[in-house]
Amino acid sequence: MATAVAVPQDLWEEDMPGIISAWLFEDGDAVRQGDLIAELMVEKTAYELTAPEAGRLKILVQPEVPFQRGDVVAQIE
Amino acid sequence: MNVPLNRTKRNLTIAKAMAEAIAGEMRHDPAVLVLGEDIGKLGGVFGNTRGLYEEFGAARVKDTPISETAFIGAAVGMACVGMKPVVELMFVDFFGVCMDAIYNLAAKNCYFSGGQSPVPMVLMTSVGGGYGDAGQHSQCLYGTFAHLPGLKVVVPSNAYDAKGLMLSAIRDPNPVVYMFHKALQGMGWLGTVKGAINDVPEDEYLVPIGKAAIARAGRDVTLVGLGATVHHALDAAAELAKENVEAEVIDLRSLVPLDRETVLASVRKTGRLVVADDDYQSFGVSGEIIALASEAAFPQLKAAPRRVAFPDIPIPFSPALERPLLPDAAKIAAAARATLGTK
Repeated sequence: MATAVAVPQDLWEEDMPGIISAWLFEDGDAVRQGDLIAELMVEKTAYELTAPEAGRLKILVQPEVPFQRGDVVAQIE
Repeated sequence: MNVPLNRTKRNLTIAKAMAEAIAGEMRHDPAVLVLGEDIGKLGGVFGNTRGLYEEFGAARVKDTPISETAFIGAAVGMACVGMKPVVELMFVDFFGVCMDAIYNLAAKNCYFSGGQSPVPMVLMTSVGGGYGDAGQHSQCLYGTFAHLPGLKVVVPSNAYDAKGLMLSAIRDPNPVVYMFHKALQGMGWLGTVKGAINDVPEDEYLVPIGKAAIARAGRDVTLVGLGATVHHALDAAAELAKENVEAEVIDLRSLVPLDRETVLASVRKTGRLVVADDDYQSFGVSGEIIALASEAAFPQLKAAPRRVAFPDIPIPFSPALERPLLPDAAKIAAAARATLGTK
């Protein structure tokens, strides 16, 4: 069963789009729960995304593609 | 779930690797402190001091007023009395107002005092363009700093080296200029070169200052780069491999001291040399490397060395003008083909 990796609704306050500045793992890599898997950027402020559980990372949103808070950007399978 | 977990792998950006190295040193050496503009609460505009203010507080992670003259001068003084400041010059382009402290004081004090007053400071500074930030925020100035005796100069191209070089820099009794390239930093608004993000051990380790790395082995032509141009050279080598040309890519990592042996060993093997540098072309790193090969490997050279560098003009603001002027993989591959007599 896959677990969605969503960008938390409260990660930043303004209603602005974010981007993935860097995925720190490749698509298909195994990750541990709590691993830092991506760095996000909103304007010039950086945020972090960690793995909600262990499994294999499936990347759904590529770097530089805008998304909104709450969007699902990856899955853990 | 039966997933083989790659527990050993931990990819970091250069920004994170720098912060981790500084934090590690601050934990066991109370003499280490950090100074600069927006390096405290904000964590650095390039992310390289994130988390330090929260862990070590305002006394050791000092946000300064916008006066490089004052706070870089202060860092030199701190180093002279035994502290180990890591001070940030946010953009290397701003060096003008603090250069006296850097090259007349920090660089020379150890020599002037007969070794009695060394200056163990790290000046970390961002370099490079490619994102339309114009002529006062886009320069590399590698040659400017490497030219001045008394300063060590390092330029990491990936996160592993960024951490190991930072630890070496802080522990070095000499002033070390640590030049990190914005395009490699892992900050979204600057673009991110994927190869700069790599596996970084959590333990401490040193990357020695003065040792180049062979980023890719080959026998037909030597491509020398530093910082961002290492990644362009690797991309060029991948293109050349399709033409059955095996390029060797050297990542200089340090400019001072320069690892002449590694460069010469490669050039003596391949007989062909291309240097890629996004600093201005004239009077800089590319000329120095080519001079080295000409002086010490002339009999082995099979073709005139080539260089791919930024033309000697101010860096344009317009991306349409800036991009075509920067070194890239296609230009490096073309220069390599020229040394091979192919097109």
